[in-house]
Amino acid sequence: MDATPAVRLDGVSKQFADSYAVHRLDLDIESGHFYSLLGPSGCGKTTTLRMIGGFSDPTDGSVLLAGADVTALPPNRRNVNTVFQSYALFDHLDIAGNVAFGLRRKGVAKAEIRRRVGDMLELVQLGGLADRRPGTLSGGQRQRVALARALVNRPAVLLLDEPLAALDLKLRRQMQVELKQIQREVGITFVFVTHDQDEALTMSDRIAVMNDGRIEQSGTPEDVYEHPASRFVASFMGTSNLMTGTYRDGEVALDSGPALPVGARPGISDGTSVSVSVRPEKVWLSDFEPGMSVLSGVIRETVYSGPTTTYLIEVAPGVTLSVLEQNTARARMEDRWSGGETVEFGWRPEHCLVLV
Amino acid sequence: MALLRPFARTRRRGADGDRVWTWLMLPGTVWMTGFLIASLVLVAVLAVGTTDDLGNPRFGFDLSGVRALADPAYTEVLARSLGYAVLTCAVCLLIAYPVAYTIALYGGRYKHGLIAAIVVPFFANYLVRMYGWSVVLSDDGPVLRALRAVGLADGRTKILNTGVGVVAGLVYGFVVFMIIPLYAALERLDVSLIEAGRDLYGGPVRTFFFVTLPATRQGAAAGLVLVFLPAMGDFVSAQLMGGPDQIMIGNLIQDKFFQGQNWPLGSALTMLLMLVLLIGMFGYLRRTRKDEAEARR
Amino acid sequence: MTLLRLPSATAPSRPAARTRTRRGRTERRPRVLVAVTALFFALLYLPIAVVTLFSFNSKKSLTVFGGFSLRWYRAFVHDDVLVSSLGASLRISLVAMSGSVVLGAALALGLVRCRTRLGSLAGLIMLVPLITPEIVTGVASMLLFKGVGVDLSTGTVMLAEITFSISYVTVILRSRIAALNPEVEEAAMDLGATRWQAVRLVTLPALLPAVLASAVLIFALVFDDFVLAYFTTGVDPQPLSVRIYSAIRFGVQPTINAVGTLMLAGSIALIALALFIPRLFGRRGGLDILSGE
Repeated sequence: MDATPAVRLDGVSKQFADSYAVHRLDLDIESGHFYSLLGPSGCGKTTTLRMIGGFSDPTDGSVLLAGADVTALPPNRRNVNTVFQSYALFDHLDIAGNVAFGLRRKGVAKAEIRRRVGDMLELVQLGGLADRRPGTLSGGQRQRVALARALVNRPAVLLLDEPLAALDLKLRRQMQVELKQIQREVGITFVFVTHDQDEALTMSDRIAVMNDGRIEQSGTPEDVYEHPASRFVASFMGTSNLMTGTYRDGEVALDSGPALPVGARPGISDGTSVSVSVRPEKVWLSDFEPGMSVLSGVIRETVYSGPTTTYLIEVAPGVTLSVLEQNTARARMEDRWSGGETVEFGWRPEHCLVLV
Repeated sequence: MALLRPFARTRRRGADGDRVWTWLMLPGTVWMTGFLIASLVLVAVLAVGTTDDLGNPRFGFDLSGVRALADPAYTEVLARSLGYAVLTCAVCLLIAYPVAYTIALYGGRYKHGLIAAIVVPFFANYLVRMYGWSVVLSDDGPVLRALRAVGLADGRTKILNTGVGVVAGLVYGFVVFMIIPLYAALERLDVSLIEAGRDLYGGPVRTFFFVTLPATRQGAAAGLVLVFLPAMGDFVSAQLMGGPDQIMIGNLIQDKFFQGQNWPLGSALTMLLMLVLLIGMFGYLRRTRKDEAEARR
Repeated sequence: MTLLRLPSATAPSRPAARTRTRRGRTERRPRVLVAVTALFFALLYLPIAVVTLFSFNSKKSLTVFGGFSLRWYRAFVHDDVLVSSLGASLRISLVAMSGSVVLGAALALGLVRCRTRLGSLAGLIMLVPLITPEIVTGVASMLLFKGVGVDLSTGTVMLAEITFSISYVTVILRSRIAALNPEVEEAAMDLGATRWQAVRLVTLPALLPAVLASAVLIFALVFDDFVLAYFTTGVDPQPLSVRIYSAIRFGVQPTINAVGTLMLAGSIALIALALFIPRLFGRRGGLDILSGE
C-alpha cells in the first residue's frame, strides 16, 4: 500500500468564539479506503469534513492531501470533491450541466466532457435523465446526481456529508450498498460523515468515532465494535450493558452490589472505578463453557423482534442487563424464557470489557 | 515550527469570512454614504448657516434659522402637520382593518388577487392618482354628488380646500402601507384562534377585542409608522386638496427652497421634520421591543 | 349548540354571508365588512377611472363627458415639451434601474454573507432612505449638488434616484439571498470555481428572477417618482412627473389626463410584470417582491 496517506490532519483545531468544534485532531486516511467519521450531532465531524474540503479554516494545525499541505488553499484548488448533505444541485442547470460543471471549470475538451458525463450518469443509473432539471427528480435521484457531479472529476478524495440522511430507510439501505459498490469500482478514497452507526459499520473500511471535537477511537468496524476503547464508544456503537463499579483483584464490585469476575487486568490498579461492558449478543443463557463468568438473575421482560429476542434480566435491584438471543432454525418457541423466571447467564471473559 | 504558527495564520485566506463579500458591499455603501449620508450632514450644517445679501447660502454658525422655528407661524404649521398625520394614521387604521380582515379571512382563493388589486395601483403614479382623487372629491365630483343625493350634504358642503380634503388625500396616498402589514398579520393569524375565542368569549365583538386585535397589534404598529412617515413629509396633498390655510411642514420646506430662497431656514425645517419622525420611530422601536420581550415571557 | 358551527377549520374559504355564530344566528359582521371593502375598492379605482375616462373626452371639460375621442392623446404626441419630458423620464428610469440593480444586488450579496462590523454598518446606512421621507432626501440631494457646484439636470436626477433605489433593490434581494442554500455556492467552489465564478455561475442565475423583478419594479418606481425628481431636476427637459405636477398646479389641461392614463397603464403593467416574473421561472411569484419579505 502507498505509504503516504490520502488525507492527513495534523493537530487540527477549529475554535468558534471560546469553544472548540474540533480539538487537536490527528488523523490519517489511507488511500482507497472508505473512511467514516461517526459521532452524534455536534461532535465536530462535519466541521472536520469542511476543513478537509477547504470550506472552513482550521484555527490551528494543518491539512495534508497526498502529503501536500493544503491548509491555505481554497476549495477550488484542492483535489477533493464533496457530496453535500442538501445535495446543493444547481437548479438552473440540467442534470448533464450539473455533472459537467467541474469539468467545464477545468477546461476539459467538450467531447470528453460529454463522454465522461455520459459514463458517470450510467454508473449512477441516471442514463436517461441527462436533460432533466434537478427540481423534477426524486430524493434518491438527486442524491445520485450529487454523487456523479463530484465523482466525474476523479478527485483523490470524495467527501460525503451525511448524504443518505434525507432518504427514507429502504432507499437508504439500498444506497448504502450501491455507494459501497461505486467506491470499490472507482477506487477513490471516501470520507463519509454519518451519525448512523449501522451505516458506518456496513460501509466502512475504517471508522473514527468522534465525540466533543476529538476522536475517541479509530479502527476497523470490527475493532471499534468489539473492542470499544471508551465508555462513549461502547455506548454509542450498538447496545451495550454498561455497569459502573470498582476494580479489585480480577473482580469488579458493581456500585449496586454484586461482584463480576472479569479476570486479571494488568493495566488497571486496584480501587480504580471502571465501567464494565458486555454486548447483549455475547451473553449466553445455556450450555456454558468452562472458564465463563456465570451469574443468575430474573427475567423481567421478553421482547420478541423476529430474528432475535431480547431479554431484560435483573441481576440486582436497579441493575438490568439486556441479552440478545438469535431465533435460529434450531431454537423453538417453547424454549424461550418467560418473565419472572430465574435464569443463569454468562459470558466469556474476553467479551467482558473493563473501561477506565 | 510551533512558534511560527501564529504568524503563518495571518497569511490564510479566510474561507469563513471571505473578503469578496466586503468588496461587493463596498461600492453601494460608498455610494450611499457619499450621496445620502453626506447630503443629510449638509442639511444639518446648513440649518445653522446664513445667507449673503443675494440670498445665496453661506456656511457659518448662525442660529437665526433654528430660532425662527419657534415663530408661532411655524409652530402652528408643525402642529397642523402632526394633527393631519395622526388623523391620517387613525383613518387609515379604521379603513385598512376591515379591508385587510375581510380579504384575509373571507378572501378565499381570491386573496392574492384582491391584495394585488390594492397594491398595484398604489405603486402607480402618485400625482396622477392624487389628481384623479381631487377630481372625484371636487364640488361636482361623484362623491359630493352622491352625498347630496342621499341628503348627507348640501350645496355648501366642500371637501376640497378643507382639512378633510388634505387628510382624504393623505389617506388615499398611503393607506396601502397600513393594509399590507395588517393583512400579513391577519394572514398569519390562526383561524382556530378566533374559533377558540368564540368559545371563550362568546360574541364576535368580544372575540375581536380580546383575540384578533391583540394578535395583530404589531402589524398595526408597523402600519402606523409606515403611514406616519410619508404623511408627515407630504406636500402634494395639502397643495392639491387643501388651500393656503391647510399648508403642512412639507409645503413650508418646499417654499423656503423654491420661492422664499431661505435655505438655512428650509434646512432647519427639514431637520425639525426629521426630528419629529425620529421620535416617532424611536417610540415605535421601543414599543415593539417591549412587545417582543413580553411575547418571550 | 356546537352542531350549528360550520367546520371552518377544514374549509377556510367559507362563504362570507353564511357564516354562523354558535348561537345559530346569521352573522351580520361579514356583510358589513364586505360592504366596507367594496366601498374601499370603489373609491380606490374611482380616481383612476375618472382620469382614464376624461382622457377620452371630446370636450375640454373635466366634469362633463362629451363623447369618445383621442384628441388629448394626439395633443400629447404633438406637444414637444411633454414628449421630451417622456424621453427624459425614460432615460432617468433606465439609468437609475441599471445603476441601482448592480449596486444594490452586490450590496445585498455582501450584506447577507459578510458578518463583520462593516457589514452591519452598511446594513444601517442602507436603511436610511427607507425611514427618511422623500422630501428630506430631495432637499438633501439638492443641497449636495448645489454644494459641490453641480448644475441640476437630468443627470442629477439619475444620481439621486440611484441612491434612493439601491435600498429598495437591496431589501428585495436580501431576503432572497438569505433563502438560498449556501451549500450551492460551496458546491461550485468545490467543483473548481473561484468565489467570483461561484457567484456569477451559480448565485446570480438562482437570483435572476428576483433581480429582473426588482429591476422592473425600480423602473416603474423611478418613472413615477415625483418628489426626488422635483428637487433635483434642472429646467429642461424636466421629468414627466414634474411636468404633470406643474400642469396640475397651474391650471389643468385635459392633455394631462391622457399622459396620466398612459403613465398609470404603463406602471400598472410593469408592476404586474414584476409580480409575474418569478412565475415565468417556475417559482412562486407574489407580492413579497413589493414588501421584500
